[in-house]
Amino acid sequence: MLTTTKRAQKKRSEMTFEKCVRCGSCMKICPIFDAMGEEQYSPRGKLYLLQVMDKVESDPELAKEFRRLLFQCAMCGRCTDVCSSDVDLLRIWHEQRARAIKDAPQEFAYLGALEKSLENVKNIYGLSPEDRAVYWLDELEQEIPNLRKRVFPEAKTADVVVFLGCLMSFRASQVDVLRALFKSLEILKVDYLVLGAEEFCCGHPLDLMGDEAGAKKLRTHNKRVIKQTGAKQLITCCPGCLSQLQNNYNFTGIEVLHHTQFFDRLLQSIEPYKQTEEFTYHDPCELHRICNVKTEPRSLLKKMGVQFRELELSCCGGGGLLRMTDPNLSDKIQQLRAAREKLSSTTVITACPACREQLLGNNLKTKDIIELLVTCLSEAKG
Amino acid sequence: MRLRDVVAGANASMYYRTDFRRIKAVYYPQTERDAVEAIAKAREMGYDVTPKGAGSGLSGACTGGNRDRVIITTLRMNRVLSISPDHTYADVQPGATPDEINAVLAPSTMRFHVTPSSRDVATVGGMLSTDSGGNDAWLHGTMRDNTLRAKILTYDGKQIEVGREGVRCEDTSLEDDLNRKALTLNDIADAHGLLGFVTELRLALKPIGDETVMAGLVECTDISELGSVVQDIISAKIPVTYGETVIYAHPDIRGSLNPPLLVLEFPEAHLRDLQSITRLRMLTREELAELKDIRLKLAKRTPKRGLQISLFEDYGFYGHNLSRLQERVERIDSYLREHSFEPLAKYGHAPTKWYMGDNTQANGIIMHSNEIKQPRQSSSDVFETAMGLVRLCEELGVTPKPEHKWIYSDYAKLARIRELREVIGGGFNSFILDPDCGAVLSTMIQ
Repeated sequence: MLTTTKRAQKKRSEMTFEKCVRCGSCMKICPIFDAMGEEQYSPRGKLYLLQVMDKVESDPELAKEFRRLLFQCAMCGRCTDVCSSDVDLLRIWHEQRARAIKDAPQEFAYLGALEKSLENVKNIYGLSPEDRAVYWLDELEQEIPNLRKRVFPEAKTADVVVFLGCLMSFRASQVDVLRALFKSLEILKVDYLVLGAEEFCCGHPLDLMGDEAGAKKLRTHNKRVIKQTGAKQLITCCPGCLSQLQNNYNFTGIEVLHHTQFFDRLLQSIEPYKQTEEFTYHDPCELHRICNVKTEPRSLLKKMGVQFRELELSCCGGGGLLRMTDPNLSDKIQQLRAAREKLSSTTVITACPACREQLLGNNLKTKDIIELLVTCLSEAKG
Repeated sequence: MRLRDVVAGANASMYYRTDFRRIKAVYYPQTERDAVEAIAKAREMGYDVTPKGAGSGLSGACTGGNRDRVIITTLRMNRVLSISPDHTYADVQPGATPDEINAVLAPSTMRFHVTPSSRDVATVGGMLSTDSGGNDAWLHGTMRDNTLRAKILTYDGKQIEVGREGVRCEDTSLEDDLNRKALTLNDIADAHGLLGFVTELRLALKPIGDETVMAGLVECTDISELGSVVQDIISAKIPVTYGETVIYAHPDIRGSLNPPLLVLEFPEAHLRDLQSITRLRMLTREELAELKDIRLKLAKRTPKRGLQISLFEDYGFYGHNLSRLQERVERIDSYLREHSFEPLAKYGHAPTKWYMGDNTQANGIIMHSNEIKQPRQSSSDVFETAMGLVRLCEELGVTPKPEHKWIYSDYAKLARIRELREVIGGGFNSFILDPDCGAVLSTMIQ
């Protein structure tokens, strides 16, 4: 039996997708529909299925197929952006994913390992929590001598706390970005610390699975540690982490910023970047659409005098756990974009570790904005 | 049964709860050959074919009713095949949208000039099947005026090419028969797919106007004043390049709008002509862009409580009804309220033109209308109210586009389609001609 609250929630949710007038404006802008070409993969198709779910659910095979369909989505939010009917599609996808896992956990066993990792070792890779500040520290310590002292709890307090997130803490492919970030902070003499082993996953993957309780546990820990540092500002390079920290942590007295926001505010002018290659700029979906950070990355690039070509406001294919739930589809999205927007001849500037992984994984050249910035700052420093 | 079959029922009309078990197959052809094969399979199985574009129309024709049927969607037949060397026409597949076509044309000064609000998603094949117009239809006409020819597949797999003057076909006997019946694009326009599956269209392209244009807002004291202004613009033959009206907007979605109003874009040379007809508040480029955006989204706006529904889109007001617009709209609204539907929005193209079922032209206002449906209202309440609106429109002499006339009983168009199907054959969307079409549709409303 549903409790009154649950019934009310169910009703609210249903009313939200019932509001869809099925105009179809969300179809052609959806990266999944673009890659698959059939309507069931489109946002309208999925909302339509929800509107006739009473008919669909009577067939267990159809219900199962629908549950799988919910995880064939990059959660890029472009459908929500384009909707003129006030349908919060992203919220619906979150709710429906949670419902799908609850209704048929056996169909999502492949996500179980991730959930278990997050529960046991608090990161998405199943590695020891102690390793969070090992790989990159080994790599960068010689170049940045004081870096170890910047890691909590050796460093106890700082004005600025850097929240690295799982990808940047564990992936070798992110070390260049970390190097650029830490060097930039050092050059600009920012009082900062890194959370290290005391940082847990931000909770974003669990949020994408609709596991609110699991995400809350991680948030509670992170929030307690961050408060201990006395931080005034919390910065992260990861838009996924940013969306969690900004929207679900409810910090008071701590400003949460993406690194592009932080540096754009800090620097009125920047030594020009000596550009020798052709650049394009890719907006990370979670940064652009969910966190509404649109101007600062461009402002930084402008201050550096970087010339670049704007790309379609489309997804790289790496969001919404899609790399895990359907890696072939995830790759296909990027490959279609690369061909359509002629990416192989350019370096794609972006500001997200997940987009970076996706671009590198498809043999495309990419740089985080901070990598350009550190070059300028180093040049200015002489 | 897979979800790809179920989801074929997705469309913007109120007829969306299809009996999907009667959808026997769904095809997404990419080429004409693929379409020929899909139709052949339907024929072998003895099923009717329902052509579907983007499903953005409001007639429900793309659902195929409740017959055992095969749905062939054009969503993957969306290529611009070629543009003529002089850029005066483009050959395109039926699933291309006006926005996609104009994106290809962007480097040139030529454009495809049919711009419905749904131009981001509506397919030109579907638009021909409903004879769509847009905010510049007054100047550029409807889909039939902008199509030079259409290639169509019949149920027995023959390809016919229908132009403005007649038909060409490899089967000369069929060609002769169809030409004797004087089949032209006027018949294909608005046929709701009853005459075959469109595989290619040759679309007329026209230059972007090079004259300086201005924009103005006409704010009327009442709806009849608005109708009279539109009537005077039509009489003066002012070449309005963009004409949209907002007649009513519910407080939930009104924002800063103050209807009734008319937004016009027109050549600078006609400013005085317009000023002699009405008071015009000139709009900046930014103000115009904002109003265009509001209008574009109005069709999709939803109320805070209840659901948006379009009971009966496209009321066509022309002739003497323009000067009696207030009274006509009030009659419609009071009928809606009597049946517990709250008006949500009334808006549309003005001045504009459209064609009746007998191909005669009408000039006036095409008014779109959305209502608020409450959860307690049953599907039969909704359908009966829609049918009541049809009867009311007949009484008032308000003529909708033929888009809705197959429940509205446009006998001229229906008779013509029946006559042509005797020669060309059936097999496509036959439910529209069934006597129980209305009863079938009434079961598909939420």
